Amino acid sequence: MPKRRDIVAIILIVLPWTLLITVWHQSTLTPLLTTRKGKKKYDRTDGHSNSRNTFAFKESCSLQNRDIVEVVRTEYIYSRPPPWSDILPTIHIITPTYSRPVQKAELTRLANTLLHVVNLHWILVEDSQRRTSLVSHLLHNTGLNYTHLNVETPRNYKVRGDTRDPRIPRGTIQRNLALRWLRETFSVNTSQPGVVYFADDDNTYSLELFEEMRSTKKVSVWPVAFVGGLRYESPKVNTLGKVFGWKTVFDPHRPFAIDMAGFAVNLQLILSKPQAYFKLRGVKGGYQESSLLKELVTLSDLEPKAANCTKVLVWHTRTEKPVLVNEGKKGFTDSNVEI
Amino acid sequence: MKSVFFSRFFILLPWVLIVIIMIDIDSKRTIRAPAAGRTGKTQRAVRTGAPGIGGSQNQSALPIIYAITPTYGRPVQKAELTRLSHAFRQVPRFHWIVVEDSTARTELVARFLARCGVPYTHLHVFTPRRFKRAGMPRATEQRNAALTWLRQHRSRRDSGVVFFADDDNTYSLELFEEMRSTRGVSIWPVGFVGGRAYERPLVSGGKVVGWYTGWRPDRPFATDMAGFAVNLQMILANPRAQFKRRGSQPGMQESDFLKQITKVTDLEPKANNCTRVLVWHTRTEKPHLANEPKHRKDTVAIEV
Repeated sequence: MPKRRDIVAIILIVLPWTLLITVWHQSTLTPLLTTRKGKKKYDRTDGHSNSRNTFAFKESCSLQNRDIVEVVRTEYIYSRPPPWSDILPTIHIITPTYSRPVQKAELTRLANTLLHVVNLHWILVEDSQRRTSLVSHLLHNTGLNYTHLNVETPRNYKVRGDTRDPRIPRGTIQRNLALRWLRETFSVNTSQPGVVYFADDDNTYSLELFEEMRSTKKVSVWPVAFVGGLRYESPKVNTLGKVFGWKTVFDPHRPFAIDMAGFAVNLQLILSKPQAYFKLRGVKGGYQESSLLKELVTLSDLEPKAANCTKVLVWHTRTEKPVLVNEGKKGFTDSNVEI
Repeated sequence: MKSVFFSRFFILLPWVLIVIIMIDIDSKRTIRAPAAGRTGKTQRAVRTGAPGIGGSQNQSALPIIYAITPTYGRPVQKAELTRLSHAFRQVPRFHWIVVEDSTARTELVARFLARCGVPYTHLHVFTPRRFKRAGMPRATEQRNAALTWLRQHRSRRDSGVVFFADDDNTYSLELFEEMRSTRGVSIWPVGFVGGRAYERPLVSGGKVVGWYTGWRPDRPFATDMAGFAVNLQMILANPRAQFKRRGSQPGMQESDFLKQITKVTDLEPKANNCTRVLVWHTRTEKPHLANEPKHRKDTVAIEV
């Protein structure tokens, strides 16, 4: 005969165990719930991310697993630029730039990207006789670690008007100056590890890219979007993780059929081969990169990044020339207002 | 006696375990959150009005900037959103509302937003083909969808500033600090619009008295979508203010919208009395894809 006491005792025993089991269930089910919700509901998805870069993203995933009830929304407060680390190699970004209406806009958004990268050194080389105040002020205001150089491309090398004459390489003299600066500043046996990357000011770079290139030992390569008339061009990587060719339509038999934004070089390699520069004269269209790389590495030395060259982390975007018809011959707007 | 003791012990044991676990979960929630996010605060703390941790107390009083970005699928979409996110990640108290022109949320944008590093809301509304002819206003439905979302999910207690961030423009970080102090509608110069190097409001005595532009200066508000910001409460106070499609002329979208919520005399000029350009209406070229084969020939499908 069930006595009241027994019933109470049974309830007292069973209840906490069922509670425990439901709590356990919830903690294992919430990660599934949160991912499923994202796909079903129409109006939801107040997403968040409290990570600063891709490495920290995993941390935020595990955080969300524990949150049974609420989505923790953390404020992304940035201190710019990130503090210098003594362990990570420095990334030296070489950017040639020249004066045109969209210059400040391009440099601004490139700076917005670079402000996220730790241990970055921006080498900005202007194609001008003197360092312009526009660029100087911009660099100073970003707070980035930078070097501001300038060298003017002689008239007979400059692109005439708008014609993209492939025989005249653009930005070459500026890049070579930056390489020379690196060789003068760092000695061959420098203890500061570094990676050199050529970043044009109108391209778009994802933050992952910089972390991929940081581990370059000699020369690393990856796919680039919107070059060679394709959605992307990429190196061909075999199952051993070695580059054996180039997936391009435009002249795939170039020694290095890759865009300027598609490779990075270890600083030691640059310093140990002081004769390696971009060739200025007699370079066919698309062969500029090869002119430098063939003096530094062979195909087998290339390190494929971006998941064995299957992810696109840099886009060769180009900005339209703005329509300025209403400026007229003399220029209508106040030239003192800097754009 | 011993059996009674044991039975009591075993009855109490699960309760004790539950209490310990609850305490553990609670403490993990409040401890881990700020560690992951530098000066972060949990949402609970925000709701109950508890003061922030460390130096973030001042930050919690800042109005949130809501950026409404309509976007559509094209090759450069991911690139544009990427560099936009790099600017937005620098801005504290920011909320990105991305509205896709599509029938459903695309994988590309969903995955991108999940790791963009900015608090976001991902919406979508499809604009029918007949509204996509040249000369017709663009992204109207998307912006209106975002405004509707704001009206449904924000109340009079929330402070914020709303602005329209197209995905191909370029924003300097200063712009966001300028617009944060918007009480009604603020306005500033924009680069590369109106066929000129920049377009700007003419300011005298702290008020907008005219427009300096190369195209139709007779517009009531001769500015670009990127040239103004609206206080969130103003959006909520004018629940019928929408972007028009019917009867709208090309280039009049901004004027038609601003007419519904404010007057020229009430505009707040920013950017040093509208003498500095902090946002540029850049446009990205269509990439040359002439060498793409008609049918995909690659062995892997790579997202660009």
